[in-house]
Amino acid sequence: MTKKIDERIPSNSGDGAAFTKYNAVQSPWNRLYSYQEALHYASRFEAVLSAAVAQAYRIIIPDYETRASEMCKEAYQRLFYTGTAYPADDSFGIHPFMCGSYPGALIGDKGDDALLMCGRCQDFGTYRCEKELDVCDWDICCSELCRATTMSLQGQADATATRHRKGKKLDYMMVEAKGCGDRHCRIVAENREKYPAPDHELWQSFGPAVSQDYIKYTEEEDTVEESMMFREECNYRFVNGTNTETDSSNQMINLSTAASLYLLPAIDNAVRLGYTDAKNADWIKKCVLEAAGKAMFGERYAIKACRDYLGVPNSVGEDGRLLGGLIEILLQSLVCSYEIEAFNKDEVIYVIDRGGLAITGCQSLPEAHLYMWQGMVKTLVNAQWSVWEEDSPKGKLRIKIAKKIDKFM
Amino acid sequence: MMNKNIFKYDEWKRSEHMAVRQKVGYYLFTHQLMEVTGPDACRFLDYMFPNNISSLKPNRDRYTTMLNDQGEIIDDVVIMRMDEEKYWVSTLYLEKTDDWFYEHSEDYDIDTSDITDEWDMFSVQGPESKEIMNRITEGGVEELRFFANRTAVIGGHDVIINRGGFTGEKFGYEIYCNPDDSDDIQALLDAEVKAAGGKEVTEFQVFAWTLPTEAGFYYMRDLGHTNPFEVGLEKNINWDKEFIGKEALLKIRENGPEREMVGFEVCDENEDFYIRAKQYGGPGEPVFIEGEEEEVGRVSKLVYSYVKNVNNGYILAKKGKLKIGDHIRIHGTECVITEKNWLS
Repeated sequence: MTKKIDERIPSNSGDGAAFTKYNAVQSPWNRLYSYQEALHYASRFEAVLSAAVAQAYRIIIPDYETRASEMCKEAYQRLFYTGTAYPADDSFGIHPFMCGSYPGALIGDKGDDALLMCGRCQDFGTYRCEKELDVCDWDICCSELCRATTMSLQGQADATATRHRKGKKLDYMMVEAKGCGDRHCRIVAENREKYPAPDHELWQSFGPAVSQDYIKYTEEEDTVEESMMFREECNYRFVNGTNTETDSSNQMINLSTAASLYLLPAIDNAVRLGYTDAKNADWIKKCVLEAAGKAMFGERYAIKACRDYLGVPNSVGEDGRLLGGLIEILLQSLVCSYEIEAFNKDEVIYVIDRGGLAITGCQSLPEAHLYMWQGMVKTLVNAQWSVWEEDSPKGKLRIKIAKKIDKFM
Repeated sequence: MMNKNIFKYDEWKRSEHMAVRQKVGYYLFTHQLMEVTGPDACRFLDYMFPNNISSLKPNRDRYTTMLNDQGEIIDDVVIMRMDEEKYWVSTLYLEKTDDWFYEHSEDYDIDTSDITDEWDMFSVQGPESKEIMNRITEGGVEELRFFANRTAVIGGHDVIINRGGFTGEKFGYEIYCNPDDSDDIQALLDAEVKAAGGKEVTEFQVFAWTLPTEAGFYYMRDLGHTNPFEVGLEKNINWDKEFIGKEALLKIRENGPEREMVGFEVCDENEDFYIRAKQYGGPGEPVFIEGEEEEVGRVSKLVYSYVKNVNNGYILAKKGKLKIGDHIRIHGTECVITEKNWLS
């Protein structure tokens, strides 16, 4: 017997999320979810939604190389621009003497932890950096995403390099990816003057690394399941090698998703480049996301589990409040404000802040959620029920969950 | 091979490191600079920092920690007195330091400004650095004492030369110049250094980690959430004045620190080990005494001494648990506790 006290959730978690009563998310039936659990819930749900959007993108551009290439170019350019226009060196601990693109590793390191992609930095130097992840909720999306995230980091790193005296350029490569079935995600960045390799296209920034033998591979027993901000051994703080510190008090507002940051912009880009038109792209997204939503509660046990998760009393039968409860959990987890206009056995109406649901400014994300919810309600409740937008005020998404007959549904 | 030692076999790092130890090396080492001016500048800084700032004479520098109310180190800086009422605070955490200064400056007649963009700084370190500086500086640097600064001219450009550094070398200089003049000055410096058999030091791990660690110096990550007693930086605290964190430090002084920073070396035959250190972020590898279950510390730093040819680093340990000469295993690798200096 030991007197060890297992890890507990930090008491300040959620301080920055403007909760009124508890630092917790609350279901309509007063079931409380800790800030940590809510963050995980939101991350997982958004990953599932993102995985569906990835399939839509695959339909729009069927060829792997073309699709991955376009996605990587778009991600690189957008994040290079963002990194140039909105420099934030201090918040990542990037010091003035850090010339070249190696400080970009600090950006990736901090971003990973905020997105619950826990792991560790294994090397950080002018000519070589290595980051290893044990967990990545985005690993269910697609390997093209693994490539694009690497190139977004390259874009950020190259943008950082523009702010200092000329330094060494690093080639950021994904050498392992959980999205490809590997145990870890591993990005190795190498300078080609020191570690020579042939030139390659952006989408080909996959391993092996030239410095493959330097890799520090963490064995299963030493892997972690939580970000530093949720680990006692880290004093519940993310701390990087240059002493940048953050805690979990307001991480929710930092949540970004694979769909908002990469996949939906990739589809918008595909439309711009003429791979399809906007109407068809939207149609494909609708089809895929509705199907994904239906699949979530296709099995009866999933419905049972959902009711249990939300704390739904037996007196509440098969109606729209079930989906309403889930939507509320998600919105609170995303720190997205909403008003409840109706919540009864016949109808549920929410007026949602559209900007809050357009995570990282992705304007098509609210509709993506709507498509998914429409699929979910068909199996979580039954096929008589639908979710649709109706009479939205400016800047809002007013959704109604109710019974609806549509002969062309 | 996996886990290949990222320091030992890296001849690039070794050559840059040894250039500083044996000849001379130079590198861009621009820090953030906060200028503090005004009639109360001295009084203000003396309150903000535990070391004695009031005794600092113009054109002299002083290293000091900065503490919070709990006595924890929140920054370590070099304060340079540039004039009677003008000081530079050289930091790497200016945003936080600026906020901290602002919070405490209400009762002081001072101005603070971020002058980082106005200066580039080249560090010139090593036994032959003095000769290099004498060759490129009008009037030479012969009279410049350690932790002293003065204006000078290099290649026709006005500069400030500060004698100091982060390598433990007896001779080391910092050239502060206008960024518009940096290319000219670097070209001049580069030619002289290479002619003397030296090198430009380009590797962050060398100028920020291996060189300072060999001399027992800290990079701020080593000091986070420690107090001066735990890391051996209590010696120059001025107890005769008021400063932020004094009350907490007095209690620590009375009760004794709970932890201490100790040095260690890897003595395992297999030098291609897996040991995580805080220098990369995260909590660092836990340290246990063989046969005991209690965690006695965490690895703060693990790099390489190219002078001693050994993997060296620091452990932040519970006070009194690890003594010099103790053999321990860290993640299965045999290590020995040492002093924190590999140059003596």
